[in-house]
Amino acid sequence: MHAQIVLFDGFDPLDAIAPFEVLAAGSDAVGGDLVVELVSAEGPRPVVSGTRGMVVHATAELDPAKPGYILVPGASGPIDGDPDVVDTIPVLLARFGETGAIPLLRKAMANPDVTVATVCGGALALAMAGLLEGRDAVTHHLGMDMLEATGVTPVNARVVDDGDLVTSGAVTSGLDLALHLLDRTYGASVALAVEDLFAYERRGTVWTK
Amino acid sequence: MSILGDWDVAIKTPIGTLAVAYSFSEQGGTLVGTAVARGETVPLRDIVVDRQQVTWRQSVTKPMRLNLDFDVVVDGDRLTGHSKAGRLPRSAVTGVRRA
Repeated sequence: MHAQIVLFDGFDPLDAIAPFEVLAAGSDAVGGDLVVELVSAEGPRPVVSGTRGMVVHATAELDPAKPGYILVPGASGPIDGDPDVVDTIPVLLARFGETGAIPLLRKAMANPDVTVATVCGGALALAMAGLLEGRDAVTHHLGMDMLEATGVTPVNARVVDDGDLVTSGAVTSGLDLALHLLDRTYGASVALAVEDLFAYERRGTVWTK
Repeated sequence: MSILGDWDVAIKTPIGTLAVAYSFSEQGGTLVGTAVARGETVPLRDIVVDRQQVTWRQSVTKPMRLNLDFDVVVDGDRLTGHSKAGRLPRSAVTGVRRA
């Protein structure tokens, strides 16, 4: 199966890289069954993150037909400021919501072989684009009110597993999200092996229905 | 002058100022309204008029999915007030009647 991590202009590097590393280590632990890729809606390209211009290269085009996980990070940028003047995080997320990634993610959400996962503002980006109507989800704690205003049921948990949609909270919860995905698909021993390698133990209780 | 007619309205939101065209009319004794922004037309719900004050609800999908509650005061050819999305802070709303 595949794990595609979607990069977009202004993305938060740690939101993307923490799950990337965890899933890559999980892939090694299961002998490479999991193909982990950094992708963009526009195909292979350098993608400028929202933190100090850090660039990460997407190596493939986001493909909603590939079975597995599609993970959407949040954005990094100013929290305060006049959104008409400053590219605040909500502005960056809304801008992502108007790219070609959204029709692809809509297809992914309709594909029963794909689980869509989000870190931090990733859930808010999808919610702003109207993809999470009526779903249970979490986003960065500063974005929970806006998440609710989009028609999503906000859940205060570090990781929220709503079946084919698994969302997580602020930045570091991406570690817990990715370990939960490994546990869900490959079992606890794989998740434990990665936890041991990274000297990290999961935090919080995963919300499930 | 009442809310009846066409308005150009600016709404300050967390993702920037939106320009929205509103149209209020009477159909069979009932006040109805629509909002047009970025090519999307949405009907207004629960329109309530109390003298100069008008409140309504609307759900938009462009430029983002939001449930909004409006509360404005009409003063001649101008309206001012706010919109509120859930528990988010109020957004300023200002409008002018289209000539």
